[in-house]
Amino acid sequence: MAEGKKPRSLATQAAAKIAKFVRGNMSATLKAKEEGKKVAYAYINDGQDEIMRAMDIVPAWGESFAGVCAAKRDAEKYLQKAEADNFSRSLCTYATCTIGFDMWREELGGQTPPDAPWGGMARPDMIIGSAQQLCDPRFKWPQATQHYLQDVPVFVGNMYYPPWDPNRNHHEQEAIYVKYAKAELLELVRFCEKHTGKKMDWDRLAGLVDLTEKTWNLFIDTYELRKAIPTPMDTGDAMNTMVPITFNLATQDAYDYYKDLNDELILKNEKKQGVIENEKYRLLWGAGLPSWFALGDFQYFNDKGAVFPAEVTYRNAEKIERLDLPATNDPLERIAWRWVRFWTHWYDKARKRPGSSPKVERIIEYIEDYKCDGVVFHSAFSCRSWHAGIIHQAEILRKVYGDIPILIMEGDIVDISSYNEVDTHNRIDAFIETVDAYKRKGN
Amino acid sequence: MTQSENGNGLVLAEKYYSQYGSRARELKAAGRKVIGYLTALGPVEIMTAAGVVSLRLKGNVSEAITKGDAYMETIVCPFVRNVFDAAVKGRYDFLDGMVLPHQCDSIDRTDDVWSDTLKLPYWHFLNVPHVTDEPSVEFMKDILRIFIQTLEEFTGEKITDEAIARAVTAHNENRRFMRELYALRITDPPLISGAEMMKVLVAAMSLPVDESSALIKGVTDEIKHREMPPSTEQGRRIMLVGDQVDDVAIIEAIEGAGGRLVMDDLSIGSKMYWNDVDATPDPIQGIAERYLRKLKLPTTFVGTGNNYQETLEARFGHMKQYIEEFKVDGVILFVYKFCDPYGFEVPAIRNFIESAGTPVLYLEDEYSISTLARLKTRIEAFLEMIA
Ligand code: SF4
Ligand code: SF4
Repeated sequence: MAEGKKPRSLATQAAAKIAKFVRGNMSATLKAKEEGKKVAYAYINDGQDEIMRAMDIVPAWGESFAGVCAAKRDAEKYLQKAEADNFSRSLCTYATCTIGFDMWREELGGQTPPDAPWGGMARPDMIIGSAQQLCDPRFKWPQATQHYLQDVPVFVGNMYYPPWDPNRNHHEQEAIYVKYAKAELLELVRFCEKHTGKKMDWDRLAGLVDLTEKTWNLFIDTYELRKAIPTPMDTGDAMNTMVPITFNLATQDAYDYYKDLNDELILKNEKKQGVIENEKYRLLWGAGLPSWFALGDFQYFNDKGAVFPAEVTYRNAEKIERLDLPATNDPLERIAWRWVRFWTHWYDKARKRPGSSPKVERIIEYIEDYKCDGVVFHSAFSCRSWHAGIIHQAEILRKVYGDIPILIMEGDIVDISSYNEVDTHNRIDAFIETVDAYKRKGN
Repeated sequence: MTQSENGNGLVLAEKYYSQYGSRARELKAAGRKVIGYLTALGPVEIMTAAGVVSLRLKGNVSEAITKGDAYMETIVCPFVRNVFDAAVKGRYDFLDGMVLPHQCDSIDRTDDVWSDTLKLPYWHFLNVPHVTDEPSVEFMKDILRIFIQTLEEFTGEKITDEAIARAVTAHNENRRFMRELYALRITDPPLISGAEMMKVLVAAMSLPVDESSALIKGVTDEIKHREMPPSTEQGRRIMLVGDQVDDVAIIEAIEGAGGRLVMDDLSIGSKMYWNDVDATPDPIQGIAERYLRKLKLPTTFVGTGNNYQETLEARFGHMKQYIEEFKVDGVILFVYKFCDPYGFEVPAIRNFIESAGTPVLYLEDEYSISTLARLKTRIEAFLEMIA
């Protein structure tokens, strides 16, 4: 393992349990092979969780694998492997890190490369991607992986949502999008049936959709406990506690995890036990995936008296009642509506505030609900999906909301070569001064 | 009106190439509405049927980005950034509106940056899917209908099926003319140089379809009757593969080093002109199928093969045909930095073409001539290697 970095000290016990969770997910893929279960390479927030789980397909998450490599500061060898075969360094590094691992395993005749974190991921029986409106790598990554795993069948579905246009009522287009998403989910069911040799148990699927909705509700209820002053948990922990909702959706384990977290946060709030002793500044993590190799920077913020009671990143869930979903018994349609409405449910609000946008409305909602004094964005160079458009969000926020302090940090998710700790800390110092002045002005 | 019919095709192409968008500007002054669009996914048939002048936007590789970066991150593909910068600087200040097709993240994630900054009267994001299965074709038809509806609201005119069918015929004819011009590159040496061809391609995408067709026909006639080809020297025959390469700079680097650019798989070149829209009873069906299934863009996922090799054939097989037909000796794969769709398929394309016996040079670069010197050295070395 490469040079170690002292991990951030976590505020919650629940967050401390996450390493085991992640490790469990990875070893589940290896165990599945022993038990004759099917393993699929899968990608987060694709809306395909319930279907995979209902078919007993064990997901192997490239994003998790790459994130772990990055957190251990041990991704470079995989990135270089991919680069040697002409994958540019400017591409999504979750993808190139994982592809580098795949290439290496193939060279070893299917053996896991030496020193792979936590035993690595199993070679998949299938690859399940989605060209959903999240990013290009969601469909290019599976395709590029197949170049090295040529016998592995690939499915790529799609799940779009109506684009934001302040002059058009997106509700008029929703039915088209839901119809399409549902049809694509059905294509996935057919693919899974073909490659597992099993038929979909539709009742079981419906039960998993129920469980997912329940988990979304509990997750949001739990996160909203962070509104308390002092906040009992901040983004540094949330970058851990996001694991179950992101990688274990539609499992009882995920639900149970948030139940425990919920209990813990209630207790902390009762005792007024905050992330730090003297909470001076409350910040919102406005957008951007974190630098997994530099999670210690959250600690740095904490040391300056700053906490993050909320973040946009990885909060890809909402209270179901706020989505106002149409009634239907069709589980595929329920999945489709839930995701389409999740991505669009700030549109109506944004339309009411001239010049605003849904992403900014969401930020404003969190600033107000969580009483934040500033917003921090992280711009990771290898992912356009979450990071292109951040300057614009900051600009709109200033225009429609007012002059709240904003920091845009630059770096990457996996590629450590872009990171300079001293510079980053200097920028944080300067930002904290700005926030302090802003608070003194009585904002 | 076209001078091109009088044997001045190349002169006219040069004019429209160097004064890009000037014809659209004139038409705007004459009272027409002009809609700019990005990428090969802009459904020109529908814009033509709507009676608007459609203008595919390009940037300028010789111009540094000076204003756009204040609004748009540098992690966006350099082509998109450069066009945006041009637009912010007012180069396209005559536009009435724009269409951004969902080609890639660089476009999808910057849609509101464009629209909020440029504030044009008409704006549309065309949500083209990345998948080509049956439900996706149905969806594509639905979003094309939404596009039609917004254009109708904007122009105040109904877009009839008949008008769309007529536009389909006109654009198919335009493509046929361009293919005829491409055929003049098959001879050795080719009758038209790569640099000349680039100017024609760029000029053609800046004109209304009838004028574009007249220009192409004019150039073709002129070339056919040329006494001497641009160069009688033998040179290695090169195919250029990439997205929107829309300047002669890189081609001059190839041809200046003794190569001959005889074919391309570019999004302003053969990708645009090789596949027609089928005339279908519902004209939207044919349009949806062409843009989704026939355009060989890396932004659509193709998984139709029974095995990996078949899938590769479905994705890149056309390149092998070009190599054979145009007697290509070497392929240059030119990909912009930060482009995930093209970037992720570099190993596959490279392997596919090389295993068929044709060498490949992969270049990753900016949309800018500032780094050309470095590329020139690599191009020269490549040409020497395949000599
Ligand atoms: S969202 Fe970003 S980091 Fe995640 S897979 Fe897509 S490009 Fe990569
Ligand atoms: S070059 Fe790539 S990133 Fe840029 S517009 Fe084309 S497909 Fe998109």
